[in-house]
Amino acid sequence: MQSNEDLEPTVRIRELKKDRVNFVLGNVDLAFANSLRRVMMADIPTVAIDMVEIETNTTVLPDEFIAHRLGMIPLISTNCDEAMRYTRGIAKEHAKFSPCSAVSFEYDPYNKLRHTTYWYETDIKGEWPLSENAKEEEAPRDDEPFDFNAKPNKFYFEVETDGSLGPQEVVMKGLAELQTKLANLILGLKSGPEHDMVANDVTVNGHGPAIDNPWTGGATWTSPANTSATTGWGGSTSPSRGGGASSSWSSQPTPSGGGGGWGTGANAGWGSPERRSNGWNV
Amino acid sequence: MAEAVEKIKLLKSSADLSAATYQIHDESHTIGNSLRWMLMKNPKVEFCGYSVPHPSENVINVRIQMYDNASSIDALISALEELDKVCEAVEDGYLASLREDKFERWVERT
Repeated sequence: MQSNEDLEPTVRIRELKKDRVNFVLGNVDLAFANSLRRVMMADIPTVAIDMVEIETNTTVLPDEFIAHRLGMIPLISTNCDEAMRYTRGIAKEHAKFSPCSAVSFEYDPYNKLRHTTYWYETDIKGEWPLSENAKEEEAPRDDEPFDFNAKPNKFYFEVETDGSLGPQEVVMKGLAELQTKLANLILGLKSGPEHDMVANDVTVNGHGPAIDNPWTGGATWTSPANTSATTGWGGSTSPSRGGGASSSWSSQPTPSGGGGGWGTGANAGWGSPERRSNGWNV
Repeated sequence: MAEAVEKIKLLKSSADLSAATYQIHDESHTIGNSLRWMLMKNPKVEFCGYSVPHPSENVINVRIQMYDNASSIDALISALEELDKVCEAVEDGYLASLREDKFERWVERT
């Protein structure tokens, strides 16, 4: 039981095509494999049309119908997290930002672990065809007792993209995104003066003033997490929406021009006061 | 912008931080479950669990209890660093498999 966990993680790519990659991840825990799946589906920034102004619409489709469909168009988003400042989003905000059209994720094709229960009329084996991935694993004997200590060890992924990013990019960016999340937490913890907390003879419930100040008040504690790109996406509305009022689109031909919401916001970071007073979030 | 929220804060703890509940902002099961797993692999950790207190609040609570009054912050930091190493190992494995080139490949037709 222990032996599997101590091995290095393995990755075996089975298929790589223009829009998809199929690989087998081994020697990691279900929790980690699932983290990778989640991060690839929901946390990778891409570009999509997010605001549409329609002047005349003589079609049979209503404005919002067209605007929605424009938003669904996959736009090439390679390195958009580095190259662009505002007009990106992640799938947590809206599903159109997901670079993946589908991520298939399977483990334990024989259901040896009994993580699922099959519905059947007379016979499970006859009614539930085995997945292709079952060829990778040994079939259980008919009289095999249930091993309640067993853990999943091989995870079959197929990452299919919508074309905004290549499959390679999605996997690499997914891992990088996961590492960014971890790094942000480490940064948050390490810049928090935990040593003071121990030394300061803290009160029992941990809410004495000696403990509260270093945790909440320290500038080093809060600022690094907020300046990074990833945390910026999590909570607030997209700056392009919050600040990009329609006037700045039409009246400012060059985005870098001063005065408009776009121009002044360009160097000020996520929550610049100019943008808010100019836009909708006043 | 409203008050800047700290990424991680202490909700409750014992005096020596050997048992503590942390609240992590803007994180979900993505980090929570992996972090819980990595913390539980640490033999000094007596208990670790996490929860998403409410689906419309983007926070997770992580509870850590240590054996022998060890520091839960140290355990948390080392778990995060270990997870980072797992990510690196997976990335290395992926790139190695890519170099081996033993898979079906897409060929661009002109």
